[in-house]
This record gives sequence, C-alpha cells and structure tokens, in this order.
Amino acid sequence: MMRFLRRYLWPRWVRSGRVLLGLLSVLAVLAIAVVAPVLAPHDPLAQDLSLTLRPIELRGVYPLGTDGLGRCVLSRLMFGARAAVLVALPAALGALLLGGGLGLAAGWLGGRVERAVGWLAAAWVAFPPVVLALLLVAGGSGVAMAAMLSAWPLFCRVLRAELQAVAGRGHVAAALMLGFPRGQVLWREVVPAVLPAALALLAWVAAGAVGLEAVLAFLDLGGAPDRLSWGRMLADGWEVVFLAPINLVAPGVVLFSVMAGLALLGDGLRGTMGLALPEARLADDAMAGDGP
Amino acid sequence: MSVLAARGLTVEARRRGGAVPVLRGINFTVEPGQVLGLVEEAGAGAAVVGRAVAQRLPPGLAMVHGSLSFLGAELMAMPADEMRGLLGREIAFLPPSPLAALHPARTVGAQLEAHLRRLGVARRELRAKAVAALAGVGVAEAVLGRLPHHLSQEQCQLVLVAMAFAGAPKLVVAEEPTAALDAAAQGRVLAAIQALRRAQGAAMLLITRDLLLAGAICDELAVMTGGDIVEIGPAASVLRAPRHPYTSSLLLATPPMRGARPDLYLLPEPAAGERALAGVAGCRFAPRCPVRAEYCLRTEPPLEGDAHRSACIRPGLVPTIVAQGEVPPPPWRPVGEVPVLALEGVGKAVTTGPAWRRETVAAVHDISLRITPGEFVAVVGEEGCGASLLARLAAGLEQPAAGRIMLAGVDVSVDAASARQQHAATVQMVFDEAQAALTPWRRVSDIVTEALAVRQSRSRVRETRARQLLAEMGMPLALGVRLPGQLGEAQRRRVALARALCGEPKLLVADGLFDGLDAPAQADLLGLLLRLRHRLDFALLLVCRDLAVARHLCERVLVMHQGAIVEDGLADTVFGWPRHEATKALLAGSPR
Amino acid sequence: MIASLGWRLLVAVPVLLLATLVLFVVLRVLPADVAAMALAPGATEAEIAAMRVVLGLDGLLPVQYVIWLGQMLSGEWGLSAQMGVPVARLVGTALPATLELAALAGVVCGVLGFSGGLLLFALRREGGQREGRAALAETGTTLMMAVPALLWALLLVLVFALGWPVAPVGGRLAPGLAWPPGTGFLLLDALAAGDLAVFGSALGHLVLPAVALGLGFAPPVMRVLGAALAEAYRAPFIDQARLRGLSGAQVLWGQALPLAAVPALAALGRQFVLLLGGVAVVEAVCGYPGLGRLLVEAVRAADLPVLQVAGLAFAVVAVLAQAVVEGVCRGLAPRVRA
Ligand code: SF4
Repeated sequence: MMRFLRRYLWPRWVRSGRVLLGLLSVLAVLAIAVVAPVLAPHDPLAQDLSLTLRPIELRGVYPLGTDGLGRCVLSRLMFGARAAVLVALPAALGALLLGGGLGLAAGWLGGRVERAVGWLAAAWVAFPPVVLALLLVAGGSGVAMAAMLSAWPLFCRVLRAELQAVAGRGHVAAALMLGFPRGQVLWREVVPAVLPAALALLAWVAAGAVGLEAVLAFLDLGGAPDRLSWGRMLADGWEVVFLAPINLVAPGVVLFSVMAGLALLGDGLRGTMGLALPEARLADDAMAGDGP
Repeated sequence: MSVLAARGLTVEARRRGGAVPVLRGINFTVEPGQVLGLVEEAGAGAAVVGRAVAQRLPPGLAMVHGSLSFLGAELMAMPADEMRGLLGREIAFLPPSPLAALHPARTVGAQLEAHLRRLGVARRELRAKAVAALAGVGVAEAVLGRLPHHLSQEQCQLVLVAMAFAGAPKLVVAEEPTAALDAAAQGRVLAAIQALRRAQGAAMLLITRDLLLAGAICDELAVMTGGDIVEIGPAASVLRAPRHPYTSSLLLATPPMRGARPDLYLLPEPAAGERALAGVAGCRFAPRCPVRAEYCLRTEPPLEGDAHRSACIRPGLVPTIVAQGEVPPPPWRPVGEVPVLALEGVGKAVTTGPAWRRETVAAVHDISLRITPGEFVAVVGEEGCGASLLARLAAGLEQPAAGRIMLAGVDVSVDAASARQQHAATVQMVFDEAQAALTPWRRVSDIVTEALAVRQSRSRVRETRARQLLAEMGMPLALGVRLPGQLGEAQRRRVALARALCGEPKLLVADGLFDGLDAPAQADLLGLLLRLRHRLDFALLLVCRDLAVARHLCERVLVMHQGAIVEDGLADTVFGWPRHEATKALLAGSPR
Repeated sequence: MIASLGWRLLVAVPVLLLATLVLFVVLRVLPADVAAMALAPGATEAEIAAMRVVLGLDGLLPVQYVIWLGQMLSGEWGLSAQMGVPVARLVGTALPATLELAALAGVVCGVLGFSGGLLLFALRREGGQREGRAALAETGTTLMMAVPALLWALLLVLVFALGWPVAPVGGRLAPGLAWPPGTGFLLLDALAAGDLAVFGSALGHLVLPAVALGLGFAPPVMRVLGAALAEAYRAPFIDQARLRGLSGAQVLWGQALPLAAVPALAALGRQFVLLLGGVAVVEAVCGYPGLGRLLVEAVRAADLPVLQVAGLAFAVVAVLAQAVVEGVCRGLAPRVRA
C-alpha cells in the first residue's frame, strides 16, 4: 500500500497546484489549532471592557481589533480553529469508517447486504443533513457526532458507486481467477482504486463539517453560548457589523479560506486521478436502478 | 468530373517542437459510382483523409497545402454553412462504432425522422419515408420505436446506412464500417451498402485496415503508410500482384481462409512514430522493408506506373517476399485423456428490464462440450450468440444455472470456494480490454507474476520468473519496471497473456484477444501463441470474430447461434463444408 | 417515464416509513430524558413522571414506536411544550412559508446551475489556448462550493437589506399589508385575491433568502452539467450529428444538452434536498418565519412535540422531491446498464 502511494498516487498529486494549496491550508489550520495557546497574543476569553470594538492595528496590542466585550479577535480566531478541527477531524474520519465500510460492503458483497445498506442510506438521507444534525443535537448528540451521522451516507453512496465502476474491470476478474481470496482481491485491486475518491470525499466532508460547526455555533446550538468558534464570532460580529466590521469579516474570511482549502484539496485529489465528480457519481446513481 | 479529388493534400500536426507531417502530399481521385479503398495498418493517415472531407480535422491538425475537391468545389476553403449544406445530403458518413454513433436517449425512429425532416421531407410523409428507408436496408418497422442500446450493432449500422443513403448522396465516406460487427453482420451490412450505392450511383471512400475486406468491395485500392500513398491501382491487380513490399507484407501477414496454413509474415513495428520519419531522405518504408538496398536510402521513390502505380524502386523484388514455413501441426497427444474442460447441459439466463417489467432470456442453453488437453478450440458466432458468456462460464467467472462443469474431471459447479481453487490451478482467462485488465498502479513485472503472489512467493523468485515470462513473450526486460499505462496496446495484451500463463494453466480462455489489432500485430500475437503452445502445452478456448484467425490458430471450431452450439468439428471441415445456416452466413461475410 | 415515476413514488413509501424509524430513534431513544423534553421547562418531578406514562416510556421500544407512529400519522401532534400552542397550527403556518421559499430557491438554483454549467462547458470546449481559463473557471466553482449558504445570506442581507436597503428582510410581508385569506401560500393567495401589492411584498421578502440558497447550492449542478456535456461531446454520436450537417448550436441544444440535462436534473434534485437543510439557517439570518426557524427554536428549547413534527415535515418534503426528480430522471435516462 505504501509503495502504491509512493509510486502511483504521490507523483500525480504533487504536480497539482490544487492539492498543494489545499494541503498547505489544511496543515496550517491544524498547526494553528495545536499551538493556539502559544501563538495567541491574548487569552481569547479575557475581556477588556475599556478597549471594545477596536479596529485593526497590525502593530497594536490587538492586531485584528477586539469584539464587543473587548476580547482579542485574533486570539479568538486561533482558538476557533480548535473547535473546527475537533469537529471536522472526528466527523470526517468517523463518516469515512462508517459510510465507507458500509458502502464497500454493499458494493462488494452485493445481494441482500447491498439492498439493506441502500434502504438504510435512503432513509437516512430522507432528512437534509442540516436538519438531521439539528435533530441529533436536540437529541443530545455532540456537534462532531451530529456532523458524522449526517455525512456517512455520502461516503456510502459515492464509494459504492466508485467500487462498482472498478469491480467490473478486467484486473479484478483476473485476480479472482488467479485464486486470491475475495477479501484480498478487495484489498489489492479495488481499495487502491477507490482510495483517491475516499480521500477526496474526506476533504469535502471535513469542509462540510467545518461549515456545520459554524452554522450550529452561529445558531447557538449544541454547545456553550460562550464557546470559541468561528460561527459564534460570526453571530457576535453580526451584532456590531457597522461599528467594527472586522468582527464579521475576519471569521467569514477564515471560514471561507478553510473550507476552500479543503474543497480544493478534495478536487485535486480526485481530479488528478481522473475520477468522476462525486456529485456526478451520485447523479448517475440516482438515475440507475429501481431502488430508493 | 471526379466526385472527390485530392491533389498534393498535405496535413501537418502542430506539436511542440515543430510540425510533423501526417499526410505528405497525397493524390487520388474517386470517380462517380466508384469505390476507392484507403488501406493503412493503424489507420492514422487514412482516417485523417476522411475527417478532412468534412473539414473536421482532429484538434492540432491543419492542412498546409494541396487541395481536396468535391465535384470541383474546394472543400478545405468552403465556408462552414455551405459545407453543412453538403453534409448529410451530398456527402454521407458511416462510422466505425454504430451503437455509439446514435443518440442514446432517442428512439431510432425519432432520429431517422429528424434527419429526413432536415432533408426536406414533409411532416406527413415522415413515417412512411422512415419505414421505407428501413425496409431498404432490410430492417423491420418495429425497430423504429426502439432505443439504440436495445438493438444489435448490426441493426444500428443498418439504420445509419439508411440515414446515409436517404439523401441520395454523391459520396459516402465509410470509416471501418464493419469494425464492430461479426462476420455475418459484416456481410449483410456491406451488401446493404453496395446495393443502395449501386442503385443511387454513389461513390464511396472506404477507410479500413483490412486489405482483404477492401479488396472485396473496392474498385480501386490505395495503400498508405507513413503519410504517403505507396501503391494505388485496380483492386484486383493490387491484391494479386502487389508492386510495393508494404502491400505484399500486409497480405502475407493476413491468415488465409483456405488451403495450407503458412507462417505469417512478421512486419517490424513502425519505428518510433511520425517524428522519426520527418528527416529521412530516401524511401520512408526502408526501415521496415525486407528487400531494401543501400540506394533506397538516398532518393525518395516517386509513385510511378500505369494504372497500377507504386512508390518503390525495386518492384521486381516484391514477389520474392514470401512466408518462411508452415504452421506446425498440433503436438501429438495420447488418446483417451481426461478432458481438461467438460460442460454437460450447461444453461444460464439473464434478467433485464426495470423492476415492473422484468424479462428473463436464456443466454446459453444446453451446452455440452469437451476439450481435451492441448486442444485449441475456437468459438465463432454472431453478436449475442452467447460465446462470451460461454467463455466466462468456462473460466468460472459466472456460475451456471443448469448443468455441470467439470475441470480436469472435477465437478466445479457444486461448491463455489473449492471450485475457485480448482479453477485457478486449471483455467486462466485473458480479456478483450487489455487496458482495464491490467492493474494500473502495478509494475509489469509484478503483474505478470501475480500468480506467485497468491502463494506469497519471495520477491527474488518473482523477479526471476518475471524475467523468464517477459523473455518468453518476446518483450524487452526493461519493460518490467513500467506501468501498464506506459505500454502500447499490443504489449499490454502480451502482459495479460503472460499473467495468465504464469501459473502454467491447463486451459487458457481468451475472449476478443485479437479484436481491434491490425494485421501485423495480429500476426505477431498468433505466432507467439503457436510457439507458446509447443513450449507450455495448454489447451485454448478462443472466442473470436475473425474466422481466418480462428482457422489459423485452432484445429477445432465451434459455431454458436442463439445460445446453442450448432456446429462442432475440425476447422477445415466446418469452414469448407458448412452445414448450419449460421455458419454459412458467417462465411459469406468473411471476404476471402 | 410515467412507469418509472410511479414506481419511484411507490418506493418512497417504505423509505418514509424507515425515515420515521430514524426520527424515532434520534428523538425518542437517544435523548437522556425524553419526558422533560415534552414538557415546558421547569416542570415538576411529578409532571415529568406523569408524562412518562403518557408517552408510554416504560413500554417496549417496538410498542412505543407503533404508538408514536400512530400519533404521527393520525395528526395527534399535541401542544408545543414551549409555547403551549397546537403543533399543527405552528407547522401549518410555517410549512407553506418554507415551501414557497424552497421552491423559489430551487428555481434560482436551477437557473444558476444550468447557466453556470453551460458557461463552464463553453469555456472548456474552446480548448487550446483557452485551457487555462477553463481550469480557472472550474477552480472558481470549487471555491464557490466553499461559500456556505450562511455566508451568502449574511453577505446579501448586509449589502441589500442593511447597507443599501432594496430588499426587505424579516417576516413574509411588509407591516401594514393585510394577509389574503386562503392556503397560507402567500404568493398563490395574493394572486388568487388579485392583490399585487401583497404579491410584490411577499416576493420581495423571498428574494434575499432564495438567492442566498440558490448561490449556496448551485455549484454542484453547474459542475455536473459541465462534466456531462463534456462527456456527451466525447461520444461518437455528436461527431456523427456534425457529419450529418447539423450546426454547432443544433448539436448543443438538440443533441448534447437533452442528454446532459438529465444528470444535471438529478443533481438539482439532490441539491434541493440539501437546500431544505440550508433553509433552517438562512431563515434564521433573514428572519423569515418558516419551518426552519421553527425547528431551530424547537431545538433551542428542546421542544419535543414541535421537533418531531417539524423533522417529519422536512423528511416528507425531501423524500417526495427526491422521488419525483429521480423518477423523472430514470424515465429520461437511457437504461444502458439494465
Ligand atoms: S524503395 Fe527500397 S526500401 Fe523502399 S519499398 Fe522499395 S525496396 Fe523497399
């Protein structure tokens, strides 16, 4: 598997500007999230009521100004990265394991398993993801859990479709004919072929989870009212947008750049391998078959 | 006036690092009612001529000088809408892949009627005209309401023929019109084309890589290589007495349909692409020419002669090019061996249609068959006759719904898991699409030794075996480190073959192994299989479209028709004295 | 097409039934204290205990589910724990508002998606020296996908409602205008009553949220259409059509687009379902009194009776929309695989 990465995937990926740019922004966010306490100029919760709604002063005490309670915007942005990472990482990985596992099982085993998974996913996507996440939060789930549970059908459906596109190829049949056990054929011939699609989706689902976390925080749901999150900052900034626009602009720009970085990464991982768009796979999937 | 005339037609490919000639000033004429065949092994230059007629050169290609005129009107300089006025009315095209050339989501009737409408047929008469047009090519009216993918390739091509001739064109450009068809369909489609063409007095430009096919229906033949026409003349004369070594070697690389089975002539592969030829001073065929002399390299031979011209300085030596020997007879086997494969009353059905209208059709039924060790058996038949399914059943990729399959005396239709082990030791299969059949991220040397990976052999062992196999396949060892995407199609097929033969199976199943290869590559692969047969001693079940290839390689032939075996016997007997209608139709369509 | 649509609608019934099971698990099995959620905050221990009995929480789960499903189906939805108003009334007024918004947003999404897809394709097909521009356009759609509807809504409201007030936000109708009687679908009611002032005002209130949603959810439709067109143009039938003398425009509109529009339509159907989720957020930003805002408030107040009905309403709309779109697409798409 490592050889496969080194010899086949990596050379194609490093030549793509999208992949590198996306990777860079993702690593930057991860790094900031980890070392936020060291990097942040102030305690993100410390209020300085004498200096509220300060504008940008890059050389000043508060480089990006302060919010309505006199808290440092830059520090809050840095700590906000933690909330984003803590939601996006477990949500995307969990959804990959759950959805990807079910999708691969459905596509590879076929028959009854495939039908059961198909119906389960259909029932699940009966709820728009944000609605499902809201319901889950109401039911007491954490934000990460809600994001994961609303994202797994995406993995399930796309990876199943990818797998089916691969499974019909001659090299899979050839491996079966050579006497490899079915499980090994899945591992040797199919999983590497769907891996780029899975990683691309991982980036996309992570972007979606970052967005969902922001939305829930914006609506002040599923967490403490004073939590450190870009969504919370958006909501706070919205109140004071005409007094200190930086309070809205800064979290908006950061949120967009992080989601854009992840989306570009996903697009690059997929595009360089010549795989179809996941939304196109889903559309094809919706047009085929008789089931839900 | 000539229907189509090319004078010094020169087309170049604009690449980084300069222009590369694709057509080097070629001249030909097509007279009214006449058929000109443009023959080339890989079809690169000949296909460009066809595209040039419609002003639709592939991206990056441009005509630099010369002229191409249709009834005196210069085509390359014609304004686009004037050109569109000609297309579909005066000039019609027949494509190589008929099914894909029809709109997939419209009924055949809708497409035919839309075309008739464009030709100016009144709305009221559309239906009647469409029915009449289909009747003209022998297709039933019921087909009008069908979508293309419910039809066979043959029916699709006949529909396209009906469309092409609906406007009474002066010129039909047919690019490999039978490439996707089986032999019987090929015969019927060509007959339909010829009948309509003769009735309307249309001329035709046939672009193909099959010299014999072209010879069967063309009045005049032009043989192309390296962007030049190297020989042009009356079809009969070109085929009977070729005056260029290239034509002669192409003919000698094509297996004959009757008589002895000579060794096929092996034409060397073209040297490194178009670019390499750009700077050559003398005869551009010289690197591959069997009878070249020193002075061939100095001056470029002109296209000379009377009605039958050729571009060769030493045409007198062409008759000296001959095949060296004969195909050796199959190795001797003791009688009474346990058959390597035995099918007893095997049947399987396929289910189609949406959930509310399921249909079950028997794809193969009641197949009984025995293949003794070392026997080479070909399965031929029309499209949809069940031959491919039979191959997959034999290979264990499909389970039979009825009957028994025995491999070397062991019933493998009972227990799936142990059956697969049995299959792996005994049967291997090679597939038609070599590109998809090779794992794209694995090196060639790893692919060919996959069979050892099952047993977890050490990498040293695998390397040695890989080198052995590559040598056996006649491939350079340096290819071992390449990925399949970096190989040519002919080489990919060899790699697939090597992988299948690595574990020395007793039976090799091959479906479409020769489809889409041109004569030299095909001759090469045929020679390889015949050599391997004597070294490795395996039996072969070959599903094959080309009857001559089947006869050349296999001593026994099965003819399938509608899911059943209708004829089974020695190749020479079956093809020499066909009894079933299906066999006769297949033979009638094979131009020999 | 009728057959495939009918079949797909039939399939939607069990899907919905399964969806109720999901809803039941999420709202009635997972939460720690269901009874407290069904009551107004500050309920006494005794009241909560009584509620347990009413909800049948001591019974077996399957039995609970059957009882609960019966209540949902028969319309016994009870009172909102928070507001003490019948849930039916709350959802009854919010649902038409949201349907109107979602429908308009779907139209915006479709128009943007299809025109964007054509643009993408036009840029890509030029080929050669314009290759760079096509790649740029594609990256542009990727970046656009990274702007969530929440940000679009904030941006639009900031610019067009607060900064330069051309479009109103807050409510469905300008204050002072009388509600026309009827179905609750304000646009339809206003048209039926012939009240153009009301119609205009209602439409004005819809514009910003609908455009925000459309912008947020259109990019995948663009990309699917662009990719499907490119794929169609690689197929030989396009070449053959050109060789029959059809013009570039005839080939695009008559041959390629009808084929490529089908997957784009399927993508639009999926985006519509996602857009229904976006409604919840955008309504909150724009102060639009729809189902989404009702749901958000119910989540905040842990108002079980409202939550379950609002959730179910979303599911019904989503499943029906999906079924209709998929049924139509399956009818239009050539069944090559079957
Ligand atoms: S001119 Fe010489 S090299 Fe060229 S084809 Fe004739 S014999 Fe061969």
